Amino acid sequence: MSVLLESSSTSAAMRRNFWAGVWRVMKRKPSRLVGAALMAGFAFMGVFGPMFYPDPLPRDPNLLTRPPSWEHWLGTDDQGRDVVALVVTGSRYVLLAALVTAVITVVVGTGIGLFSGFKRGRWDTVLMRLTDMKLTIPGLPLLLVLSTVWKFSSAVQMGLVLGLLSWGGVARAVRSQTLSLRERGFIEAARGLGLSTTHIVGKELLPSMAPYIAMNMLIAITGGVYAQVGLFFLGVLPYESNNWGQMLNTAVFRSGALTVPSALGFLLGPLLAILLLTLAIVLVVDAMDEIFNPRLREE
Amino acid sequence: MTIIARRLAGHLARGIVMILVVATITFFIVRSIPGDPVAANVQKLIEQGMSAEAAQQATRVLYGFQPQGSLWDQYLDYMTGLLTFDLGQSITHAGAPVTGVLAEAAKWTVLPVLAGTLLSFLVGIILGVYAAIKRTGKLGDVLAISGSLLHGVPQYVLGLLLSAIFATLIPILPADGPVDILYEPGFNAGYLASLFDHAVLPVATYALAAYGGWILAMKSSVVTVLGDDFILAAELRGMKRSIIFRYIARNAILPLFTILALSLGLLLGGAVFIERIFNYPGLGLLLIESITMRDYALMGGAFLIITVAIIVANIVADLFYSVIDPRVRSGEEVSA
Repeated sequence: MSVLLESSSTSAAMRRNFWAGVWRVMKRKPSRLVGAALMAGFAFMGVFGPMFYPDPLPRDPNLLTRPPSWEHWLGTDDQGRDVVALVVTGSRYVLLAALVTAVITVVVGTGIGLFSGFKRGRWDTVLMRLTDMKLTIPGLPLLLVLSTVWKFSSAVQMGLVLGLLSWGGVARAVRSQTLSLRERGFIEAARGLGLSTTHIVGKELLPSMAPYIAMNMLIAITGGVYAQVGLFFLGVLPYESNNWGQMLNTAVFRSGALTVPSALGFLLGPLLAILLLTLAIVLVVDAMDEIFNPRLREE
Repeated sequence: MTIIARRLAGHLARGIVMILVVATITFFIVRSIPGDPVAANVQKLIEQGMSAEAAQQATRVLYGFQPQGSLWDQYLDYMTGLLTFDLGQSITHAGAPVTGVLAEAAKWTVLPVLAGTLLSFLVGIILGVYAAIKRTGKLGDVLAISGSLLHGVPQYVLGLLLSAIFATLIPILPADGPVDILYEPGFNAGYLASLFDHAVLPVATYALAAYGGWILAMKSSVVTVLGDDFILAAELRGMKRSIIFRYIARNAILPLFTILALSLGLLLGGAVFIERIFNYPGLGLLLIESITMRDYALMGGAFLIITVAIIVANIVADLFYSVIDPRVRSGEEVSA
């Protein structure tokens, strides 16, 4: 009984220390707080943003493709709709799909990479052949070809397809990291002590790979945004709901935003959103890197 | 040497399997397009007064396989065509063979991609070492954040920004097409200068997009190596800094060769965006055009050729890897 109590109180203390460490790391560089705030802002925008605007957005034939002004901070599109409103209402599709993509990519990739690298042997060979095959078939061209038969109508569907097409890189990276770690002293020692595989993988391998996996999460989230916005930008998918990729497509190929300065705001809206989202993720991952990788800590 | 030869043979075998897999995927995608375009085309030609025989022949030319016999027969037909580099004929390019259209487009993709990759690789690994050594300082921070940002930003964002800045706001560079049409193609100064001018923005976009990945990968790799015992041992033994640096660089650069292959693949995929933005007539633009024009033979061909290029890049990178790292070689022998 006393042993139980003791262990639970030490783990509570460890948790407290962990959060204290997180706060210390965040405070050291204000940029990281900015990143966290930005990310919270995007989450808010994706969840609640569309509720602030009427659906469909009002069109105004007197306000076609206007440059930025006080009423319309980023101007209006070619149907007289406010660009800021378009960015906000278009965020839900983009963010939801990117989240689904990232979760599937990281979970599947890390699982396969760890299993393959730690077990070696026949399973490793089979799984890596499969991974190689996924990596070799180029993702975006395959998506383009697939778009002739598949319409990607919902955000979840889009995220699912993107996630299932993109775990290969994470699996490879995690496996090679596992391979190099398993030959290090502390893992060999743990194996020599007869510790269970779950313990070695969960307590010894995973923590030392956390920054690596965090980096891959960054690639996965930005990759999810990148791929879907890009697909819509290229104009191969039908116009379903409004989202950032369709805005880019209309701005560049229909309104000539690269030649007509008044349409520039129309182009800048989604570009700014993508840049800010990327910045937010980068800053947060920078902080995560330091939290999980003591070697980088500047004490 | 024999080990490397055996690896190469294995890679080639796997490469061929991959090509068959991709060709199979394209075959079935074209077959599963809603509304069966193959049957519709035969029907249309017959209604236009063609004989059934001729209509099927014309459709075979268009889609690369015969709309006759069992599915298996059609598939075999399509694959035998592949063996003789017969990828069908393009409808949008006045019936020219797909192989010829692809060869013409390939050079507009391969050269800019290679130029951009090498440029960013060199700059990225040098700055990556700095970012790792100076990771506690301001310089390291700036380098790391710039790398993360550029790595995270999609290529089309970079391309659109570069185009908006250097072709629209400050019009000093052309952003449309590969060359000015007023010059006679060939080895004359005007034509070459125009080629170069038009290549600056696409190559810069490739390089900027890839640079972030290199600096991040090199930084994290160097940081890992810096903590290794053998570096500490070398320092304690008082070895020269330049030799230690060579140890670090040699060990840190290894994992990057795997990424080199992957990034070449990513860049070839990204060529679609950059070529669409700068209207550069490479394989990516060809793929987009074939999809919007529903030119299926060309679509399958472009998809296949991009995949083949990536397979070759992977094989080259893996051979590099096994030549540099003796651990990989011995590891292979044990598991074989």
